[in-house]
Amino acid sequence: MVRNRTLSSSARTILAIMVDAGNGWLHGYDLYRQSGVKSGTLYPLLIRLEEQGYLEAEWQAPAEPGRPPRHAYRLTAAGRSLARANPPLDEGTAARGARERPA
Amino acid sequence: MRRLLAAAIVALAALILPSRHRDWGRAMIAELGTIERPGAALAFALGCLAGALRQAPSLHPLQSDREGLSAMDQQSRNPRRLAALCAIGATGLGLFYLAAAGAPLSSLAVNAAALAIGLLAVGVAAEAGKLWRIGGGAVAVALACPILLTALFGISAGGVTRWLSAGGILVQPGLVLVPVIALGFARSRGAGPLLAVLIAALALALQPDRAMAGALAAAMAALALARPERTALVALGAALAAFAATLARADASPAMPFVDQVLYSSFGVHPLAGLAVLAGAALMLVPAIAGCVRDPDNRPSYAVFGAVWLAVILAAALGNYPTPLVGYGGSAILGYLLSLLGLPARPAILSVGSGGAATQSVAEEPQPKLRAGLTLVG
Repeated sequence: MVRNRTLSSSARTILAIMVDAGNGWLHGYDLYRQSGVKSGTLYPLLIRLEEQGYLEAEWQAPAEPGRPPRHAYRLTAAGRSLARANPPLDEGTAARGARERPA
Repeated sequence: MRRLLAAAIVALAALILPSRHRDWGRAMIAELGTIERPGAALAFALGCLAGALRQAPSLHPLQSDREGLSAMDQQSRNPRRLAALCAIGATGLGLFYLAAAGAPLSSLAVNAAALAIGLLAVGVAAEAGKLWRIGGGAVAVALACPILLTALFGISAGGVTRWLSAGGILVQPGLVLVPVIALGFARSRGAGPLLAVLIAALALALQPDRAMAGALAAAMAALALARPERTALVALGAALAAFAATLARADASPAMPFVDQVLYSSFGVHPLAGLAVLAGAALMLVPAIAGCVRDPDNRPSYAVFGAVWLAVILAAALGNYPTPLVGYGGSAILGYLLSLLGLPARPAILSVGSGGAATQSVAEEPQPKLRAGLTLVG
């Protein structure tokens, strides 16, 4: 279970982007570009969200011939609820959070 | 080059991921293909590798307890998977060296293609048939025959006959098949695998191939020490006789760029290139060391694996013989990958019940191509 208080800034950003996309499907590289979250953080996060039922994933036929199928993602109803309950941190919140961390 | 490196890194990331996350590895590979800029592709790939490493439990330093291993742990402790990862890592480091040394692009392509073909062959063999269970003796003898045929009818250069041409590609069958034959014999004590060792020893003496005869002798010595049985001693005697025969014959092959003497010359290219070559060579021995430590019940197999590849590396250090995986030449890459089939599919504790200008034609410059192990012709 992803607990609200443990959701990272990256997770909140990804969730917000996916909520904005509504029922539309997003690809990994779209999320990578739009969020600025590194792929090493993005994919483990997507894996966790999918395993916990917040995300659905499907393979989509390539838009251009000769390209491989792409893995696409969108939030489930539970994922949309999670996203609404965890909006992206504003800069002030993020800064406070950073100051509260032990050095 | 950066795109090729990115593809190799993402492939490694996909391989590291636990099997239940295989789709995610495929997803990373598919996304990489949509990234236009090579620099961005490389950054994306490196991130994927970092993420995959965090997903692989066996790579976490705190998870070393043998008891209560999850299915994911068991999967990632697969010795063959570890060896495949080491092959990918060592070949990748070799590609870095080759690129830094200014080797022809075709030589990088040959090594990368050999890696891909080898991984595919291993996957097919592992899935389709449990190679060593399907009449292991007959298979072993069949594997030894190309080495003998090479000695009798192969392509000669510099007074030695070690190569066969297959569809425009030159292959050094001894380097491809001797390790897998040695591993096969370590796993099976039957007459067939012993006959295969004897045929290989004879063939290596005839070629002559001092490096591979030495590797076979080292492997048989390791096996005889770990399991001092009559068949192992017979095989050791034959391998030592073959090695002695190769020592008695002249082998004045010149060193070829990017193929031989790489362990030394790489430091002249750049200290990082030298370190990459040394790290790649060391990586090749990791499956043997890890196996001996983790899985004592199967120690003979790991000892043979380690001995054969250590001997090949030492031969490359001491003479003009191909530097495996990190130098130019696909035969060693294929041989290393095929030899991992001789390792246990899983540790016993987890088991149920227990170089050179490659694109020039042979007609233009034959000998350099023959030294590369597996090279493009024409």
